[in-house]
Amino acid sequence: MKENAPAEVPAVVKVPAGPTFMLPKAEDGGASRLVTIFGSLGPMRQKRVHYVFDVGTRDYRQMMLPVEDTVRSIALQVPAASWYERELHDGYGVEVSEHPDLRPLIFHDQWPDSVHPMVDAVDQVPWTSREYRFLTVQGNGIAEVAVGPVHAGIIEPGHFRFSVMGDTVLHLELRHFYTHKGTEKLFEGSLVHSGAMIAESVSGDNCFAHAVSYSQAVEDACRVPVPPRASAIRLIGLELERLVCHISDVGGLCTDVGFGVGAASATCIKESLLQASSKCCGTRYWRGIAVPGGLRFDLDSRMVQELSRVVSSAAREFSELARLILETPSIQGRFETAGILRKDVARELAIVGPVARASGIDLDVRRDHPYGQYPGVKFEVPVTHYGDVMARARIRIEEAAISARLIQETANALPSGSVLEPLELVGEFQGSSAVESPRGELFYWLEGQDTRISRCHIKSPSFQNWPAMPFAVADNIIADFPLVNKSFNLSYSGCDR
Amino acid sequence: MPEVIATRLTPAIAQRLVEVCPTAAFRIEEEERHRRPQLKLSYGDCIGCGRCFEPSEGAVVAAKSFHWCGQAKDQLVRAWDLDSRTEMTTQQPAPGYARDGIHALFGRALNIRQLDAGSCNGCEAEISALTNPYYDLERFGIHFVASPRHADMLLVTGPVTRNMADAVKATYEAVPAPKLVVAVGACGCSGGIFAGSHAVVGAVDAVIPVDGYIPGCPPTPAMLVTGIIEVLRRRVAK
Repeated sequence: MKENAPAEVPAVVKVPAGPTFMLPKAEDGGASRLVTIFGSLGPMRQKRVHYVFDVGTRDYRQMMLPVEDTVRSIALQVPAASWYERELHDGYGVEVSEHPDLRPLIFHDQWPDSVHPMVDAVDQVPWTSREYRFLTVQGNGIAEVAVGPVHAGIIEPGHFRFSVMGDTVLHLELRHFYTHKGTEKLFEGSLVHSGAMIAESVSGDNCFAHAVSYSQAVEDACRVPVPPRASAIRLIGLELERLVCHISDVGGLCTDVGFGVGAASATCIKESLLQASSKCCGTRYWRGIAVPGGLRFDLDSRMVQELSRVVSSAAREFSELARLILETPSIQGRFETAGILRKDVARELAIVGPVARASGIDLDVRRDHPYGQYPGVKFEVPVTHYGDVMARARIRIEEAAISARLIQETANALPSGSVLEPLELVGEFQGSSAVESPRGELFYWLEGQDTRISRCHIKSPSFQNWPAMPFAVADNIIADFPLVNKSFNLSYSGCDR
Repeated sequence: MPEVIATRLTPAIAQRLVEVCPTAAFRIEEEERHRRPQLKLSYGDCIGCGRCFEPSEGAVVAAKSFHWCGQAKDQLVRAWDLDSRTEMTTQQPAPGYARDGIHALFGRALNIRQLDAGSCNGCEAEISALTNPYYDLERFGIHFVASPRHADMLLVTGPVTRNMADAVKATYEAVPAPKLVVAVGACGCSGGIFAGSHAVVGAVDAVIPVDGYIPGCPPTPAMLVTGIIEVLRRRVAK
């Protein structure tokens, strides 16, 4: 068996070019965790590359590197950097020397090589056709199975290229970014107040986390304190979103193993929460509520209490359902040892969220980089080290119970007062914020002047976690792929933006 | 989704609505014959953000139930005469029964293929809610199928991205005739918040022919059901 490297990219560049920097060490002397890498343009439109690391302190370590044309890749030391550097190469036309694989990531065959939308004019981009080379696994009896972009179900689009030997997956190559909508560029020139609407459309089922993260970044930029009542209601919304997402995911896992009772019950519990949300704030998914400075409107305290009661009964029903699911032998047989993501792989790829916690990595933005109301609440962060589908299901089940408890505690002690602090936007500003979304660490960085945004970067947990999927799927049978995929529950749109 | 109370409209309020709407769903235009000013509301552009409620002094409220689903594109636009404070668009007919449309068009059942052309997954979340025991679309003989070859109707969400345009066309070609295409969500109807992005080709009808539109960001399950039934009813009535 022989693996072909992509032909146009030499594996080793002899003369490394571009400025270098020392990778920051974590507080405890270990390796730091890469949060994101992105480009921006300086005042004279010179290109800049930003690196954000988690070094174990409350604040992230942010670095900015002005670049001419070339930057040196860190992907060989920090594999998690690989996709970020490819995105930088696509969007900004920055050469990344020593990068092992610089094939186009975001822009598919219809995009010309010469256009880099974050720096070039994009009103008349011609349609072209260029070739994309998948990595081919060669040898006797190896077959390729191509799936997508259009999938069999109510799912988002993406392409999976499996190389299989019989039923066993030897290699999976992902090709995503079918839903790339140029979202980060849409922020350019948009009003600060309208930005929350764009953020809500990055990943629809996590829209509140995106809106809060965006708003917090603006609040960080203009040092505006959010009123306590707004903070508390945001916490309720964030935890409710997590609860809904986790219930839906566990139900989805049941669907994928043909356990109809579990799937139907989970959708019922989820729907009861969505309808309660609709009664409480007029929207099923908490869209249009969070804005920079707080909330667009206040919620009636009695309605919040009512929502909290529904949450309490939903949590009770879900914990009973979860027991049924976990005690069913056929479920155990499918969940256990399927799709194992090893801790060392998860660490190298800087995996976040429930997927990381199921592979033994103890991180949670709410505890490690607290924001909003979280410094004032107590909660535990469940971690397990098995790294299989069962571990990811268990983490979600435990987190759902914690979220329900946080919602009830917060709803019972809802502060009074206003929910919106006016913003004073004068001159240049720059801010960032991280939120633990249901899928993990979500990070917004933005820059602007007066009332408008000039650059907004979104680090989505899905973009971070997708590269781990091939490692979890390898050595499993191809029929288990939907199950493993569901247990990661990654957003395509959130990844593609 | 917003509902306009015509009797409370004034030119000043109408002007404020136009200013506050982030997706330009509200417009003031002169009507052709008498050149009288009209307030127009295009539901296909509306993302239901509710920013029009506050400055409207009660002239715009959240619709208690929303029936403007499954219409042709021009029927998604409502107009009010600002002088006489009356609605100029005719009210759409009450929804029919799913059974009648399905039987007349496809025999026994309606098979739907959902196609994500670049959506944010908000619409997907609501479409998958249609199969939960609360809405249980299966009881009407409506199924979601895995292949476009099995489908009678394509339910297309999202603005069509440049990266998805070819796949959207291929999926449409793969559906056997007779086929219906329904554009779902503000993005599917008009491009929504992503209209004009360099990575987006446009609304669904920029790429394939569309039979009906279901607005909303995202449309609720009730709006989706209403829209699917209305598209069938309109096709039968043709």
